[in-house]
This record gives sequence, structure tokens and C-alpha cells, in this order.
Amino acid sequence: MKINYSLITRRTFLNTLFGGWVFAMLSGSIYALLKFAFPTLGKEPDFVVLNANDFLNIPPNSVKPFAWGGKLGFFFKKEDGVITALKGVCTHMECNVTYKPEQKKFYCACHKGWFDEDGKNIEGPPPKPLEFFDIKVEKEKLVVARKGFTFELPKA
Amino acid sequence: MLLPERGSRLSCQRLKNWIEERYDFEGIKRLAAQKVIPVHRYEIWYYTGGIAMFLFILQFITGMVLSMYYIPHLEHAHKSIIEIVTKLNMGWFFRSVHHWGAQLAIIFVFIHVFSTLLLKAYRKPRELTWVTGFVLLVISIFFGLSGYLLLWDERAFAAVRVATGGAGNLPLVGGFIKAFLRGGIDVTGETLTRFYAFHVAILPIITIFLIGIHLMLVQMQGMSVPVSIEKKPHKTTPFFPNMLYKDLMVWLVMLGIMVSLAVFFPPEIGKKADTLAPPPENIKPEWYFLFLFQTLKLFPGEILGMNGETIAIVLISLGVLFFFLIPFFDRKSSRGEPSPVFTWIGIIYTLYFVVMTVIGFLT
Amino acid sequence: MKKFFLSIALVLLNCISLFAEDKIEVFPSVRYEQFIVYQNLVIFWIAIIGLIIIIRMKLREIERIQKMGINKEEKDIPLLD
Repeated sequence: MKINYSLITRRTFLNTLFGGWVFAMLSGSIYALLKFAFPTLGKEPDFVVLNANDFLNIPPNSVKPFAWGGKLGFFFKKEDGVITALKGVCTHMECNVTYKPEQKKFYCACHKGWFDEDGKNIEGPPPKPLEFFDIKVEKEKLVVARKGFTFELPKA
Repeated sequence: MLLPERGSRLSCQRLKNWIEERYDFEGIKRLAAQKVIPVHRYEIWYYTGGIAMFLFILQFITGMVLSMYYIPHLEHAHKSIIEIVTKLNMGWFFRSVHHWGAQLAIIFVFIHVFSTLLLKAYRKPRELTWVTGFVLLVISIFFGLSGYLLLWDERAFAAVRVATGGAGNLPLVGGFIKAFLRGGIDVTGETLTRFYAFHVAILPIITIFLIGIHLMLVQMQGMSVPVSIEKKPHKTTPFFPNMLYKDLMVWLVMLGIMVSLAVFFPPEIGKKADTLAPPPENIKPEWYFLFLFQTLKLFPGEILGMNGETIAIVLISLGVLFFFLIPFFDRKSSRGEPSPVFTWIGIIYTLYFVVMTVIGFLT
Repeated sequence: MKKFFLSIALVLLNCISLFAEDKIEVFPSVRYEQFIVYQNLVIFWIAIIGLIIIIRMKLREIERIQKMGINKEEKDIPLLD
């Protein structure tokens, strides 16, 4: 059925077409720009590979820091020699924590929060325990991975 | 204005109503409607200024995002650019766009300058537009030079050494300018930091200010029409929206060309600069300096017992100074009369620049 | 015999690249990524040309109504006193 009048005016049609096209091009370009300007917002790695020799020989009841993406990670050897790794970031407001070997606790100076050596939040504002990682030692390499991350490196 | 039925009122219309209920734009709208562009056979040159401005705006945008990652310290500069190009999402692309945008912007600034020279748009009452424009030309070149050094590779380092050294040979002010630009006696990390300050802060502020004045003058006085056409009746076309749409089409083509150049010819990254090493073979300055260096080569080492290079530089300076002051020398044009002498002077300047640049390129 | 010498020459020529330093990759070297780049370039150009066509359509329409004299004020238009 053909109607003998137009549902929209020529002006509206052209303006909408123009505006829509400009909007599409602009948003595409701005998206590309923003992706460049804000590359990996908040993304953390799934795993990091470290040199085993640098870490395994630290004295018991001490930590050695490593880079977990842009954040602080701790390689932790407990008093009894058990090795583990955790994210050294306070669960309250993301300040870096420090290890106090005399008390065997992790301390966050920002709001005086305390965690025990298993990361459980025992005092102060932190609402959750510290995040621990899985570690695996393969020959010369120490692989620190997110808990539950199963895919491992092929032989490099 | 045709309004759709109430139920389907466009959001554009509602936005317009919101604004009109609060702000009175009638005066500005009437002024805008009066803005007209003359139509004649030289009208194509009217686009050159807008293109240059558009390219500069793009440079500001790509420059801003690049400056989030660049490190202006001689130890890290080169590496930070390698990181941008190899590790970041589309880093290579934005750096390449910034490089080609710079080349095109400077090319179109030169086209704009020489076309206004030959069409004598500088004549009364537009002398100050020419003056601000000339300063903007110098600033554009300095933008190019300062940006080029930031790569801190062998070529850039050697090129800046030659360029600032050349500036140092200017009579009287030379030594002062050289020390000011270099931040010391030689090109060092201080030079890098200083050029970075110029490139991202000092020059942009001055440029925005000067472009503001330059544009305001053009708005106030309208587009210049060549003397031969001025007196005869000629058509005009309104700027809003006709010319604006035409400008937009030209700018879109420029954008496409720039992006294509960026994709097909991404600029290389040379070895990191070594302040103690000799310059690489066949070192040449950026193309917009070639005409100056070719000119220097024309002069023998000694003329009548005086240093040839100094004489060359003095003559070049006088040539540039005359160029700068042309609106005040060209009396006939300021009276609206044809001025063939200055047409020839303009042609000579243009040809000299083009020919010397090409020769510098080929040798 | 000629083919033999030609192939030796080509091998020797290619050995020159062994002396080249690590060239910094200013453009993605992976085929897959190169493909994406060129594809996006084509899409971009199509978008640009599309927009230019739309602007031309708008311009033609505007010139049409301007020719009809929508801008000029009518001389004998009655004033509201």
C-alpha cells in the first residue's frame, strides 16, 4: 500500500542521517583514543613468572616483594619453611601492607589494619582477608598464579 | 521549524528549547547569518587556513594522549617511545598519526602562507593578520623541531645540534638564542627537557592565543578578495551552513589521507642518541629546514675576507625580515591597486622555497 | 650454471640482514594483526566517503531551498504595529 505523503520531512531525514553518522564515527574514534589513553584499567595478570633462585633462599619468617602487574606481591616463607605468595594489598583501601616478623602479622599503616600470617583480617578496618596465590616451582622458574588459574606455560 | 507531533518530539528539539529558554543567541545568530564567503576563481585557497587549523587540533589530541606515556628524560625518552610503539594498544598508530599530522600541518601552513602572499591577502586592512600568521609559522616550525628531538635518536640529536648551532650564527642575538634553546652550551638532556616544555606547554598556549587573535581578525574583517576581482561584482555564499559543510568535507578527506599515510608509512625509530658519537652519514635536517641549509651551501667559505657563512645568515635574516614586513612595504596593494612588483617578489619567494627544498631533498 | 650463481648471490644478499641491528617494530608484524589494521582502514574510508556523500546531500538540499529565496525578506511584508 503506497501512501502519497512522506512520513518524515526531507530535513529530518537528512539531519538524522548526518547526525547519526557523525555520532558513529566520533564515538568510534573516541573509543580508539580512550583505549590507547587508558590501556589496561585495573587488569591484573593471571600469573607471573619469577626467577626461583632469587626467592627460594630467603630466610624463614620473611617476605620478598615482587611485581604482580602494577601491584605489590609478597613471596612469603613462614617460620616453619612453608612457602607461599600473596597480594600485599590491603583489602580496605588498597594501601600496601608490610610484614612484621616479630609479631608474624601483616600491618597496613593507612588505617592501622592487621592481618595474621594466613592473611586473615584480625584487627582494624580491613573487611576481608589478604588474597593468596598458588605457586609452583619448575626448574629455575617460580610461577605465581591467581588461585584457581589452571593453564600453565608451555616449555619456553 | 516543523515540529513533529507532541508524542514524538525529538530530543534535539527539546534540547534547543531548553537552551533558548535560558540564553539569548539572537545577536550571535544574526551575525553568523551575515558571514559570507566570496565566490571567485581563487576561492579554493580559502580552505588552506581551515585545513591547517584542523590538522593542528588533531595534533593537540594525539599529542595529549602520547604525552601520557612519553618520558622526557634522556635516559628514558627513547625507550618510552619504543614502549609506546611496541607494547601499547595501537601505540604505533597514534605515534604515526602524530608524525604525519605534523608533516601535513606544516605543509599546509606553508601552502596557506604562500597563497596569502601571492593573493596579497596581507594588504591593508589585514596587516596584523599577516603578522600573527607569520609568528604562527615560526611557531609551527619550532613545534616540528622540538617534537622531532623528543625521539632522542641519532638523527634527531644531530639535526637539533645543527639547527641550534645554525641559530647561534645569527648576528648579535645568535649566542643568546643558542644558549636559550639548548639550555646550555651543548645539546644535552637539558635540551631535551627544555624542548619538551616548549612542545607540550609553552608553544601550545602561545599558539592557542595567537590563533584566537588570527581568527578573530578574520571574523571581523571577512575574507580578502584579490585586487583584480575586488572591484567587480562577485557572488557570495553564506558561511553557515554552506561553507562550513564544504570545509567539513575537505577536513574529512584530510583525515583520511593522514590516517592512510600513518598506516602505510609509519616512521622509523633509529638508535638511541649518543652525545659523544659522531653524527650518522648524510645527516639532513627535517624537510622544512632544507631550503635554509641549501642556501647556506651556496655561499663560499670566504667572501672578500669575511666569513661566508655569517654573510649568508645575515642575508637570509634580511630576506626573512622583508618577508615578515611585506604588508608595510607593498604600498600599491594597500591602496587597492595592482602591484606587479610584489607579485613577482611573491613568486620568487615561493619558487625559491620550493626549488631549494626539492634540491635539498634530492642531494 | 647461471641459476647456481644466482642462488648463491641471493643467499649472500640475504645474509646482509644478519648484520642489521634489532629493527624496532613500528608496525605489527603478525599477519593477523596487519589484516585487522587494513580492514579497519577500509572501513574508515567507507565511513568518511559515506559522510561526505551525506554532507553533499545536505548541501544540495540547502542550496535548493536557498535558491527558492527562503532567506530574503519580502519587501512588502506587512509590519505588526
